[in-house]
Amino acid sequence: MDRRPLLSRAPRGFSVLGLVLFVAAIAALAVFPSFVKKPYVLHMGVVLFLAVIQGQAWNVVGGYAGQYSVGHAAFFGIGAYVTMMLLEVNKIAPWVGIWAAIAAAVLVSLVIGSITFRLRGPYFVLASISVAEIIRLATLHFKEFTRGAEGFLVSEIPTLKIGATEIEFFTKRPFYFAALGLAVLTIIANWIVQHSKLGYYFQAIREDQDAAHSLGINPAFYKNVALAISAAFTAAAGGFYAMFVKFIDPNTVFGLDISVQFVLICIIGGIGTILGPVIGAMVLVPLSEILRNPKGLVQLGIVSSDSGFVRFVEANLSNAHMLVYGILVVVVILFAPEGVLGVIRRLASRVRRRASSRGRTEPAATA
Amino acid sequence: MLQIRKLNFAYGDLQVLWDVDLEVKQGEIVTVVGANGAGKSTILRNVSRLVRPASGSITFEGHELSHVPSHKVVEMGIVQVPEARRIFPEMTVTENLRMGSFVKATRKDRERNMERVFSLFPRLAERKSQLGGTMSGGEQQMLAIGRGLMGNPRVMLLDEPSLGLSPLLVRNIFEIIKEINRQGTTILLVEQNVYQSLRISHRAYVLETGRVVLSGPGAELLDNAHVKKAFLGI
Repeated sequence: MDRRPLLSRAPRGFSVLGLVLFVAAIAALAVFPSFVKKPYVLHMGVVLFLAVIQGQAWNVVGGYAGQYSVGHAAFFGIGAYVTMMLLEVNKIAPWVGIWAAIAAAVLVSLVIGSITFRLRGPYFVLASISVAEIIRLATLHFKEFTRGAEGFLVSEIPTLKIGATEIEFFTKRPFYFAALGLAVLTIIANWIVQHSKLGYYFQAIREDQDAAHSLGINPAFYKNVALAISAAFTAAAGGFYAMFVKFIDPNTVFGLDISVQFVLICIIGGIGTILGPVIGAMVLVPLSEILRNPKGLVQLGIVSSDSGFVRFVEANLSNAHMLVYGILVVVVILFAPEGVLGVIRRLASRVRRRASSRGRTEPAATA
Repeated sequence: MLQIRKLNFAYGDLQVLWDVDLEVKQGEIVTVVGANGAGKSTILRNVSRLVRPASGSITFEGHELSHVPSHKVVEMGIVQVPEARRIFPEMTVTENLRMGSFVKATRKDRERNMERVFSLFPRLAERKSQLGGTMSGGEQQMLAIGRGLMGNPRVMLLDEPSLGLSPLLVRNIFEIIKEINRQGTTILLVEQNVYQSLRISHRAYVLETGRVVLSGPGAELLDNAHVKKAFLGI
């Protein structure tokens, strides 16, 4: 039987404490830009939220339904390209275009799903990789339509009018709030999926597809549903990314490293949980940023500009972030197969056990 | 109720079933016994439409099953309890049972069915919130059968329920199968434990390398010289 130690069982039920913490965290992040105005900090905030969205999106199909897609760059890139091309070619505002992008990604996911979900395990993983690669190469090839390797550059994002307020997408601020909103939305969506009947069906398929099948669950259908939900959020992330970074080409949005990033966020944080992708993003984003751009720490005022650490990282590790990712994944799989979240839970339950056993033995000792 | 006629089936070039004829009448326990690789499980896989036969027909209450997709077979009332238990290890006993009433029509009976399962298996009632994967083999088998009952089966397909269980538990499981049948569920059982399964069956078929070589009432087969020699070592 196929047992999966990588998956930790998500707690069921509704926790008031969890909700309070969740709302408090959102509130804190919402007022954060009023106190900290450094564009670099807000930029990092957006990158972090984007990683959370990516992780949560992958989690639906990879975490709950247990279908390890390593081809999510396909949906990310479709989201980015459709949003971008509608803006640049058809002058359609991104907040409208993104819906078309989501629809396109869902459509593609259903096509991909109905073909690749006939495959299981490693075969599905390989098929998902190749589909993303096919789309990347097709985008490079059909230059008249996609501009090939030239890519697209955002010329101007129109002003968004909501009632009397006008929002201009010049600074990092509006992007920060948009990314925060989208991240909150994906987290809530994940929570709903996890606690709905649908979530049970996904998990049943993940734990034992044949058993699920024997109960009348159509595995191919529900895997397709999971992939479509995941693709929708992934495309939203892609569309947002295109507008935020303002430039896309096939390699930056359809690349295999993008697909891998989706998986890494979840593996490092904890697959199949709500908090996992959040924690994974919180580990991965700062780490990759420090390795790629150690001067960022100087900008944040954490270290001084002549710090030995910055010089060391710049001299030795600036091109090694993929290497460090790799080592990190090996360490996590070997020592913490349930991700960072799993480690935290294990420590917490150990502390609790120790506390309760002390509570029990002490009165006995005095008696 | 369930009728299999001239069923031929092959995995690729390897023919596994040869002209198998088999009938299960309402209210019966019918057992297919045979050695490893005789094709017993393959018959069940054909009934639940997980594989497609090369030729032959399978009808359930007069309906031909050849165009029914596998997940719809369950809706018709044919519920398979898969081999090696296959419970959901990360779900609790209650959650596993709830998964058993996936088919819409069975959801209104969920509470009643769950009570029925708990009265058949008091052990499961004691362990409602335990994770399936942490239970013993016997308890997992009870859970798998219980989960099957949640789907209101008209006929229940049981694939080697005695696999990997201690002799005492095997006896226990067969008693419960008998009880489930007494309560009105028709049962098609596939077994290697010839003695125990023939004892509780109304009728049985002996399968050897994909062919039915003997059939008849369970008690009669127990006395059959060939069965005694081939399976019981007497």
